[in-house]
Amino acid sequence: MSEILNTLMQDARIWQGHRHNQTTQPAEPTGYQVLDNQLGGIGWPRGALSECLLDAHGIGELHLLLPLVKRLSCQNRTVFWLNPPHTPYAPALAREGVNLDQVVMVHTDNQGDFLWTLENCLRSPATGLVMAWPGKLMSRDIRRLQLAAEAGSNVCVLFRERRFADQNSPAALRLDLEPDQDQNLNVSIIKRRGSWPGQHCSLTMTHRADLSFSEAPRVVQGPWPASGR
Amino acid sequence: MLWLYLHFPHLLLDHLRRSRESENALVVVQGAGHQIIQACPVAQEQGVRAGMRLKTAISLSPELQIARADQQQEARILEDQARWLYRYAAYIVPVPPDGLLAEIGSLQKLYGGLSAVWQTVEQGLDERQLNAWVAIGHTPLAARLIARSGRGECTSDAGHIQRTLSQISLLAAGFDDKTCRRLERLGLNTLGEVFNLPPKELAKRLSPEVLARIQTIQGARPDPQTPWQPPHRFHQQADFAQDIEQSQGLLFPLQRMLQELEDDLCWRQQDTDSLLLILQHRHQEPTRLRVRTSGPEHRAEAFLKLIQIRFEQSPLRAPVMAVILSVKRFIGREVSSGQDLLGNTQDLNEAWHNLISRLQARLGSKSLTQLSPQADHRPERAWSASDIALRKHRRLPGEFAQLPRRPLWLLKGPQPITEAPATWLSGPERISGGWWDGQRVHRDYYIAQLNSGQLAWVFHDARDGWFVHGWFG
Repeated sequence: MSEILNTLMQDARIWQGHRHNQTTQPAEPTGYQVLDNQLGGIGWPRGALSECLLDAHGIGELHLLLPLVKRLSCQNRTVFWLNPPHTPYAPALAREGVNLDQVVMVHTDNQGDFLWTLENCLRSPATGLVMAWPGKLMSRDIRRLQLAAEAGSNVCVLFRERRFADQNSPAALRLDLEPDQDQNLNVSIIKRRGSWPGQHCSLTMTHRADLSFSEAPRVVQGPWPASGR
Repeated sequence: MLWLYLHFPHLLLDHLRRSRESENALVVVQGAGHQIIQACPVAQEQGVRAGMRLKTAISLSPELQIARADQQQEARILEDQARWLYRYAAYIVPVPPDGLLAEIGSLQKLYGGLSAVWQTVEQGLDERQLNAWVAIGHTPLAARLIARSGRGECTSDAGHIQRTLSQISLLAAGFDDKTCRRLERLGLNTLGEVFNLPPKELAKRLSPEVLARIQTIQGARPDPQTPWQPPHRFHQQADFAQDIEQSQGLLFPLQRMLQELEDDLCWRQQDTDSLLLILQHRHQEPTRLRVRTSGPEHRAEAFLKLIQIRFEQSPLRAPVMAVILSVKRFIGREVSSGQDLLGNTQDLNEAWHNLISRLQARLGSKSLTQLSPQADHRPERAWSASDIALRKHRRLPGEFAQLPRRPLWLLKGPQPITEAPATWLSGPERISGGWWDGQRVHRDYYIAQLNSGQLAWVFHDARDGWFVHGWFG
């Protein structure tokens, strides 16, 4: 087989459904062994887009990325937060061991600036990770971002709403995030490059509020007047 | 001592010509009569001569571009040239309106001979597209007179210089009309003939001033010169004979100016991180553009890219008649240190600065922020956002391990809760403070899970009820 075809096969750009071989795409481990296993032992793909689809903030979506943020920022790679919906709380990030000197917030006013910024961040070798909260993205825009991500070999995670799950997307990894009642995060893989999607796993996210126990809540006194204490 | 004199016969014309792309005829006019004092080669080809009236010139060359002579502008251009010459010679004296004097006797050893000094200067003039008549003399005045007569040669031979001087006519030697006339009546026409007169007689028959001038030329009388010191800033102006309406058109002259800035910075061994660009309009206040880079920079190419982004962001308000590039802040160049074995730290640093500068140029420097924790108990004051500074010292991570557990998302302002939380998980934690600055806070914080599955940081305010203040993202 020709060399080009060989590379295409190895990079998992051509996907063969009947074969399930280990691919050689570059990736960063997520820091969650359970999830890494579901992702074929690799993690967040580098040089490609990843999408996290979720409906509400505060379900552990940042903690999903925190091990990566921590690792990259301590390696002096810059982590960009592009248009975050709320303020990332600096004391909490510092407490988790994130090097805040490498964390840069970017706010853009319009969609043109947003795409331009994201593209520039992705192409730069100084970037380690870009976390972006786009509003609405055209399929064409995602395609363009995908090309920029390939040029820079950085990790890029887009946080989007779950209703976009049906929209097709050139992103290499698409995760559907859903909380459950025990503060865990249910992750289902909608798409991943080089293999069948459809895996599910549940990540324990109780540590994000130091709730590492399952006993009765330790609220001293039910504070909510209407909650029928 | 040996002096080098540069006489710029049409400095203003050269200055205008090098900041434009078109090749139309260009003249400089002066006075109410609009007399032409300088004409470019293209204009001369069409028959325009210095001394003509403007009307005549326009009938010869209908597309003539006209610039008005301006003393202040000429003085500024001369200073530009002085700054350039200062790179080659330490002792220089500008001679307004159109000359530069430099002491080169002490430079011969450095450059390896007089001809090397001469060549360096000629080459520099060529690169800067300037026309100058160069001459060497043993006194400042002698060098000046020879240069202005256009007979300068690269020699330090005293006899040769004396001979050249002798041939200069009295009018060109700068005597006033009355003296010239008197000398002419005596049958003297050149400087050499006056040199031959006995000094005593000269003083008696003419005037002591004439003798003084002759002696200054010959070097028998001291002629002290004050050396010029370059200002500690970079300032350059490009004037356009025709107003520029498109920002694209500004890039061409800017490229040359930035290249000169780069040369200047290289020569100083310094970098800069902010440029001031002033665009002058005919009937409006000038536009001031401050271009910042996120780190020390000296390359013209990098500056040009940032300026290009700025131009794309904001189109010109009005046609531009002049561009001023000014740099006041200089940063000593750092020796590249902290490089690792693979040697890629430098590149990464540069890439980082490049990226941040680009983003700042397009989005405005306020759009990029960095966060840091602050020592305050009130959650809304326990953090701050600041502009991106240079990569600063790193704080030890251990310092923050003592901080209490907080959510990763903080809402921009507390939001009232609309529904009762599903589960209460922990609390209360009382945060009370701010009595010292009037922003009083007295709250009990709880961690609760809402029905939607979100883990919220909820507080109860003694007066106002229940609010969500953060999400455990």
